[in-house]
Amino acid sequence: MANEKKNSANLPAWGATAASILNGCFGDYLNDRDNGLAIDMAFYQNNRPLALTAEALRAACPAPTGKLCVLVHGLCCHEGVWGFPGAPDRSYGSALQRDLGYTPFSLRYNTGLPIPYNGQVLDTLLEQLLASYPAPVDDLILIGHSMGGLVLRGACHYGAGRNAAWVSKTSRIFYLGTPHEGAGLERMAHLVTTVLHAVPHPVTALVGDIANQRSQGIKDLRHGTLLDGVDFTGSVPWLPSARHYLIAGTVTDDPEHLASKLFGDGMVQPPQAGEHVRLFPGVGHMQLAHDEAVYDQIKQWCASA
Amino acid sequence: MEPKTLRQIRGAKDLVEETIDAAALAINEVQRTMTRMPYALLARIEPIAAPVQAIEQVHLKIADSVYFSIRVGNRLVGNVAGFMLDQLDAHAQRKGHS
Repeated sequence: MANEKKNSANLPAWGATAASILNGCFGDYLNDRDNGLAIDMAFYQNNRPLALTAEALRAACPAPTGKLCVLVHGLCCHEGVWGFPGAPDRSYGSALQRDLGYTPFSLRYNTGLPIPYNGQVLDTLLEQLLASYPAPVDDLILIGHSMGGLVLRGACHYGAGRNAAWVSKTSRIFYLGTPHEGAGLERMAHLVTTVLHAVPHPVTALVGDIANQRSQGIKDLRHGTLLDGVDFTGSVPWLPSARHYLIAGTVTDDPEHLASKLFGDGMVQPPQAGEHVRLFPGVGHMQLAHDEAVYDQIKQWCASA
Repeated sequence: MEPKTLRQIRGAKDLVEETIDAAALAINEVQRTMTRMPYALLARIEPIAAPVQAIEQVHLKIADSVYFSIRVGNRLVGNVAGFMLDQLDAHAQRKGHS
């Protein structure tokens, strides 16, 4: 019982969850106003930001390994999204640590900020992490859920552009329910606000204005924007030195079902079939971040040569 | 109370205050636009145009003053809450130093 209490104190509380949701919805506004609720990007451990200094990392990782795993959550979430239901201390990170010796680092960031901006900051943060890590790093794997996958791709682009050391260590990148070609839900929201503004009535215009207050991070999901001034990810090459794995889900057990065809995993349409693409029928968008079958697949890919 | 928690509470206070202020402004504007619609129609009738315009002005003034009161009240409550948070902040800092 005491252990349970201690464990739950280490997990993000409802306040952190509320702040993450607010950041997802209005994070750019909060950041512009220097509001105390705005989240600064950092790696979090036990619900606290981790200082990227050698001493702090030595204390946080008493037995550092040469293999690192970085987990990046999606819109309106925090690192708690990786916790398995019924066992919130277990995540893909902790499981990879136990099974394959990867030292996990979970990111928390303001998901309402533009995706290209978050990509740039993550690039810098990964650089600092590797520079301060108390052991030489041989292998770095990145796992991104939903928007987190786009942030990772952005970070890779900026990191590769300046030959960052962490990029050459990155061997595998996993994208779980990532809208590489844009999210249908945001396209729908954009259409609705456009229609609301087109209707010549002050009330519909007001509702349209309110809907338009959604963050730039959400708006960037419309086309899966990774870079400033680029509206389509097709023009952004995938990091050539790493292997990329796409994991997707569907809302029904039958991927051919009309609902799965229309709604994908509930938020994002699955990618086209390919060598490193795996579809999990019946696994919804949020569940992709904490599912045993998904973990088994990640582990299998990590263990493969 | 931790400084981070205080900062978040202050942030939530600011956000609520700004939201109420922006909502009052926006709804006031919508109400003005909608209020003007029937008056504009009635004002086309020549014999009653002058009294209609006078009533419209009174109507708009009353509506504006209601929204103005909401905004002033909101600002007042925000200032009081801000003052209380300042006291908590000062108390926490004193406790931290001692």
